[in-house]
Amino acid sequence: MHRVRNLSWATGTKPPDIKNRPLPFMTEKNLTRRHFLNLVGAAGGTSAIYNTSLALGLMQETGPVATLDLKQAGRQRKKVAVLGAGIAGLTVAYELERAGYDVTIIEASHRIGGRNMTVRHGDIIDEMGHKQVCNFDDDPELYFNCGPARIPGHHRRVMHYCKELNVPLQIKANFSRPAYRHDPDKFDGKPVTVARYVADSRGFLSELLYKAVDQNAFDEPLSPEDVDRIRAYVRGFGALNRDGRYTGSERGGRKSGGFITPAKTFEPLDIESLLDSQFWTGFGAFTSENPDWGEPLMEIKGGNDGIIHAFAREISKPIILNAPVQAIDLKDDSVNVVYNHKGKREQISADFVFNSIPTHFMPGIPNNLPEDYQAGLAALTPGNFFKIGLQMRERFWEKEGIYGGITSTNQPINQIWYPSHGIHSQKGVVLSAYAFFAQCEFFEKMTPAERISFAAECGEKVHPGYTDYIEAGVSVPWGRMNHMMGCGTSWSSGLPWEDGNSQLREQYYSLLQQPAGGRHFMIGDQISYHSSWQEGAFGSAEFALLELDRRVRAESGEARKG
Amino acid sequence: MRRLMSGLPVALLWLSLNAFAADELPVAAEEFVYCTVCHGVQLMGNQIIKAPRLSGMEPWYVEKQLHNFKKEIRGLHGDDAFGYEMQPMAAALTDEQIGEVAVFVNATRSRPATPTIGGDAEKGKALYTTCAACHGSNGEGNEALGSPDLRIANDWYLVTQLNNFRSGSRGSHPADINGMQMRASVQLLNDDEAIRDVVSYITTLRNQ
Ligand SMILES: Cc1cc2nc3c(=O)[nH]c(=O)nc-3n(C[C@H](O)[C@H](O)[C@H](O)COP(=O)(O)OP(=O)(O)OC[C@H]3O[C@@H](n4cnc5c(N)ncnc54)[C@H](O)[C@@H]3O)c2cc1C
Ligand code: HEC
Ligand code: HEC
Repeated sequence: MHRVRNLSWATGTKPPDIKNRPLPFMTEKNLTRRHFLNLVGAAGGTSAIYNTSLALGLMQETGPVATLDLKQAGRQRKKVAVLGAGIAGLTVAYELERAGYDVTIIEASHRIGGRNMTVRHGDIIDEMGHKQVCNFDDDPELYFNCGPARIPGHHRRVMHYCKELNVPLQIKANFSRPAYRHDPDKFDGKPVTVARYVADSRGFLSELLYKAVDQNAFDEPLSPEDVDRIRAYVRGFGALNRDGRYTGSERGGRKSGGFITPAKTFEPLDIESLLDSQFWTGFGAFTSENPDWGEPLMEIKGGNDGIIHAFAREISKPIILNAPVQAIDLKDDSVNVVYNHKGKREQISADFVFNSIPTHFMPGIPNNLPEDYQAGLAALTPGNFFKIGLQMRERFWEKEGIYGGITSTNQPINQIWYPSHGIHSQKGVVLSAYAFFAQCEFFEKMTPAERISFAAECGEKVHPGYTDYIEAGVSVPWGRMNHMMGCGTSWSSGLPWEDGNSQLREQYYSLLQQPAGGRHFMIGDQISYHSSWQEGAFGSAEFALLELDRRVRAESGEARKG
Repeated sequence: MRRLMSGLPVALLWLSLNAFAADELPVAAEEFVYCTVCHGVQLMGNQIIKAPRLSGMEPWYVEKQLHNFKKEIRGLHGDDAFGYEMQPMAAALTDEQIGEVAVFVNATRSRPATPTIGGDAEKGKALYTTCAACHGSNGEGNEALGSPDLRIANDWYLVTQLNNFRSGSRGSHPADINGMQMRASVQLLNDDEAIRDVVSYITTLRNQ
């Protein structure tokens, strides 16, 4: 394996712990009826996971897909420039080309897709300062989704375009009971199955509540019927025995037997160690309680960039690659966009511009957008994600009974994801680190080789022998990716869950949703309540298209229906 | 600011699209495009990324700093929050590329950076007299002394650097001779206010 350079700064400084925020119920002193329900929720993970759902920008359902019914451009063939060929830009280009517009896509990178990026053998990972080439075997099944990996069915726009463009989906396991929860400081540093963590923690909590319900621990006394009903629920919830005691359960997995020989269950885990390891934090045992991570999830067969390639097949005008935008000049009757291409400066004059360039680049691109609009763009703070994908010579996890899903660990790698596809084939690509926001810096400071050795060391603690299975690997620090430098914008600190109703969002969000000068539309997941989800990017494109259509129709004296 | 051109002095015509189209400005070679991703178009600076304006910077100083980053003399100190953003970018360059990119940096043009920090330039003027010995009375720099032109970078960046020199996160590596000289000089600035004032004065030198 690769030698680890001087990592003293890395190992000495623990990445800021953004996960260990106290949950509401942990800070309450008196148990009220409402708190009781919260507690039950917490045991099931709902409120715990609610926090982490906010962490990924989850705010509200995005609603049904609009029927676009765009007015055909007709003989004038208005010109449109789309800046950036990510999900939002491609959606706009696809829809407007179909409506008869003359659409030119200008993309800074050597590839289309933006953050929707799947790497295979030979692909370039354009990290600034550390360009990598994907060294996986030349095999279409050995790929790594560096960006989007999970699609829930209620992301209606993702589903809509996958269906319309014949992009095949398959189920992706997110939660797995046989996968592990690992804390280096608990249970001798040995991984414990998710099943045991979940079953035992629910058992303990349920037992506690079973005892508490008739001890007047609540703000109002419970009626005997209430007590009975709650106890019945709690017994079922926590797998308690008839006396309301938790003595372990088959839900935690069987230690042995259960088929030909009698089943033996595990002893319950030590409750204190269990609580100490804060299993409810982060993206661990309760991942699937988050609506956007709720089972069943989906992924695109052959890699999540399938949707990108489907758009590219449909869009007829060649996309201009390697063409970073250099200036945007908004005029009364048009917009001029200057871009570099093949060592030359080029420009295009368009009737409308749809701009998906990450907002944090806009202060470095000369433009004459209105001042308040520019201030709004500058008010957004980029977030950050980091992933490592390792090609394993053998699917060792399947020998441990794990088929897909996630192990979570308190080490800086946070998670290990086992692929849901290619079961029982020889090799597989495993997500071997997934860091969020401020945690990413820890990995960014390493070279790609150092990151892989670090991930190997961490993986070794969960799966002894892990290192020997590693054949190839890539690391993708989104904060360092060329033309991207981040993922998940927010209006405050860079932590999306702190941005809720932030004053800045209130001040600028609807301004940025409207076209500057009637011609410059800002799009992308950055202009949504679902930043760092493709549904947000699709939603912003849809919003802008409807707005354009309303204006175009108004020009010819028509009103848009709906 | 509705029109890019409105009200701008003739010298700043470059910002007009005509100037762009007329190829008066350098286009980054493919291998150096990423410099403009952080430092902005024509290296105009981007405060969100904390990457300073570099437009027209003296090639000797650019080279020296890139070598310093590459040799891990600058940018790896634990308290240097933004230096670590830059350090691996220079580490990836060959010595030859460092020479080439310095020429590109020197050729770039953009409008002087807008002031952002709001210090007292009058007070700063008095403080600046000691700085002038090395950086020149107009802030133009002095290659012989290794001191850079201070009129190029953004004010917020100069503040960061003065704080870095003060805390020792820049200019304390034993091989950083010039950095150490600057570090000694910064001790004259006692507090944040003095730093803001002197930088505000430096900003006024830009338009002369
Ligand atoms: C690690 C990670 C995990 C994720 N997981 C999921 C998930 O499980 N499910 C999900 O739905 N979503 C997920 N997402 C989010 C999803 O990737 C994004 O929401 C979506 O891809 C954003 O699309 P976009 O078009 O808004 O922006 P982008 O994809 O960022 O597109 C912007 C484009 O602009 C280009 N550009 C930049 N500068 C310039 C310039 N100067 N000139 C021209 N072009 C320029 C860029 O190269 C890029 O192509 C994840 C993202 C990451 C990074
Ligand atoms: C990832 C973003 C990023 C990229 C890419 C990048 N820089 Fe930087 N650069 C920075 C930041 C941030 C600083 C400021 C560091 C500090 O505050 O000490 C900086 C500082 C510098 C400095 C020091 C300026 C001074 O006044 O001392 C030079 C010179 C420089 N960069 C040149 C370049 C060149 C040339 C490239 C391309 C080869 C480049 N940078 C690419 C972020 C970047
Ligand atoms: C003894 C000579 C000397 C004096 C006096 C001096 N400087 Fe410097 N300064 C330098 C040198 C040399 C450097 C370059 C350091 C390096 O190479 O990293 C420098 C660098 C700087 C920088 C960093 C510029 C950049 O682009 O990163 C700033 C800011 C600065 N000086 C401001 C000041 C101010 C303000 C004063 C007065 C309080 C001052 N200097 C006094 C020699 C001096």
